[in-house]
Amino acid sequence: MERRTFLKLTGATALSSALARPAIAAPVELRWWYHFDNPQNTPAELVAKFEAANPDIKIKAESIPWGGGNDYYTRLFAALVAGNAPDCAQVKLSNQARLLEMQALEPLDSLITKWDARSDISDKIWSINKASDGHQYYLPLHYVVLYLYYRGDLFEAAGLKAPTTFDEFQQAAKVLTKDGVSGFGMRGGAGGYDNWGPFVLGGGANFSKGGMISDAALKANRWYVGLATEQKVVPPSAPTDGFKQIVTNFKAGRSAMFIHHVGSSNDLVTALGDKVQAAPVPHGADGKGWTLYGDESNAVFAASQNKEAAFRWISFLSAAENNVALTKLSGQLPVTTSGAAQDTSHQARFVKASTDSLPVAGVLPDSPKTADFVGTVWPTNMQQALLGQISPDDMMQAIEKHFNG
Amino acid sequence: MGEGFAPCLRLVNATAVPMRRQLLPFAFLAPALLIEAAIIVYPVLKTVWMSLHDFVLFRPANAPFIGLGNFTRAFTDPVFWTSAWHSVIWIGFVVGFQFLLGLGTALLLNQSFWWRSAARALVVIPWALPSVITALMWSWMYDYDLGLINDVLLRLHLIDAPIAWLARADTTLGAVIVALVWQGFPFFAVMILAGLQTVPHELLEAAEIDGANAFQRLTKVILPSIAEVIATALLLRTIWVANSLDIILVMTGGGPGFTTYTLPLYAFLKAYTSMEIGYAAALSLIVTALLLLVIYAYVRRAAREL
Repeated sequence: MERRTFLKLTGATALSSALARPAIAAPVELRWWYHFDNPQNTPAELVAKFEAANPDIKIKAESIPWGGGNDYYTRLFAALVAGNAPDCAQVKLSNQARLLEMQALEPLDSLITKWDARSDISDKIWSINKASDGHQYYLPLHYVVLYLYYRGDLFEAAGLKAPTTFDEFQQAAKVLTKDGVSGFGMRGGAGGYDNWGPFVLGGGANFSKGGMISDAALKANRWYVGLATEQKVVPPSAPTDGFKQIVTNFKAGRSAMFIHHVGSSNDLVTALGDKVQAAPVPHGADGKGWTLYGDESNAVFAASQNKEAAFRWISFLSAAENNVALTKLSGQLPVTTSGAAQDTSHQARFVKASTDSLPVAGVLPDSPKTADFVGTVWPTNMQQALLGQISPDDMMQAIEKHFNG
Repeated sequence: MGEGFAPCLRLVNATAVPMRRQLLPFAFLAPALLIEAAIIVYPVLKTVWMSLHDFVLFRPANAPFIGLGNFTRAFTDPVFWTSAWHSVIWIGFVVGFQFLLGLGTALLLNQSFWWRSAARALVVIPWALPSVITALMWSWMYDYDLGLINDVLLRLHLIDAPIAWLARADTTLGAVIVALVWQGFPFFAVMILAGLQTVPHELLEAAEIDGANAFQRLTKVILPSIAEVIATALLLRTIWVANSLDIILVMTGGGPGFTTYTLPLYAFLKAYTSMEIGYAAALSLIVTALLLLVIYAYVRRAAREL
């Protein structure tokens, strides 16, 4: 047999044997990026449950370090640019505009319309998550709303009630600031915009043109910065205090109030029991207020080869009992109405403070500039204002310039 | 083959062999050069390319060429100048104090005492620790409420109330400098100690016989004898310290405000927080250009020692 003939026969045999083999479709492998406050928590049980119900899909869940958001999003954007992004990932609204600018997101409108559990998520949550172009790219996963934690025992000893207005808040902070205790554990470091928002955005500032330099906005910011520079009701370390410091101070009795969400409630109850109480953030004299709606959603990326499978997975996570199981891992609140009724992972007073705060809950602007505002513009200007290096009005001018030029 | 062709063939062989020999070294060098091109030359060229474009990570398809726009932006950016000034303070104080502390330690470790070997091993510990560990350790020591430093100072009645070391404009940069001085002084100690071993005893004995006191022996005999070692260590450490940002990043993230911004940190934050990769590349190249002077001095020194 000639060599050429031999090669032809061998090739033909190999091809025919491959074609003759019965077709066994390999399961689709989906990569999903997630982050939990406690990186020890794993969604393995949820993955196993999903894979049992969907044998054609394998989930590769990858825990990505959060790092205050910077680590997570830098990796996500770099992966998107490099063409190595996951099929779907946890995302927050503050980065939706950037992801849209990259054309990285897959619109989910048609898939959501057909999703039978759609109505289990409230219209308010759907509308908060809608993009500026009117499309729905995010599928809500869990949420938190920021509220006020206060030390019930210290308030009781001082004959005070939970503050409902800015004036009551300041008065309480002044009364409680003594003997090494600061009335308010202000967060001036990373992430502190969510402490600033209730008092300054709630006091009249907004992100539209001129909204940061209106008389009301400037007055509200002067008042908030003044809690540190004039009233001295915050710890001296406030300019750089982050989450860890404000929680530690509160638990140790070194501060009487701080602002955070339900995610820290179990830890606080373990440390303080019934001494820790919760209330919606105070509002201004005009009755208006603002607090941060801390969103978390899943998105499917436009470059994914398995968009339908990816939606099956993320919609599985947002469906009632799975959503409750997931929030036990994340420490946050279920987005589903039926899930909220089943949720027993948080004590009632903290859930109530969250839901009572929902009417004034809002998000930061859907702008590519928002992430930089959170990461650098707000902390550097706030810290300079707290240190007296710039005035509170200069700080607001800088924020106005950042968003509106 | 006729005899007449023989000289021509010899000529061909004579030129062909040397040519192969000339190319052979390049063939041996090729793997190293290729690796260097891939991991150094290409990234540098890519950085230059990015610095000339308005390249933002979330707008990869829209990165227009802007020439030197990023560089001119830097020179009109007040945060750039703040960071540059902090870099000068950072390098000057860190390298200066590391050298002085390292010199003192080396002189001590060069003395005879029974646990000298153990001391020489122990002194390397700060250098061996990962930067993140060092930064966290110092952050905890500086902690306003629980920190060791405030506790000791209060017990000694040197202060009346705790100091928020990492939250004040007047203390933060100094506090971070102290942490890096602590981490880096063993490098100088080890380098100088090695240099001290080479100073001839006869020279020191002669100086002693001539009536030189300890300080004179140090300044007139020891330091001149190890000047080469000191100069090399200073150059190397200047390059490393100028580039270092890990300790600052972990301890303060550059804050409060811009109090601990240095140029490498500013470039890092522009790249990884603002995602302005083009501007960050320009900042990095400016730092590189400034460091080239030091690198040039180091390379000249290294070449002289070859």
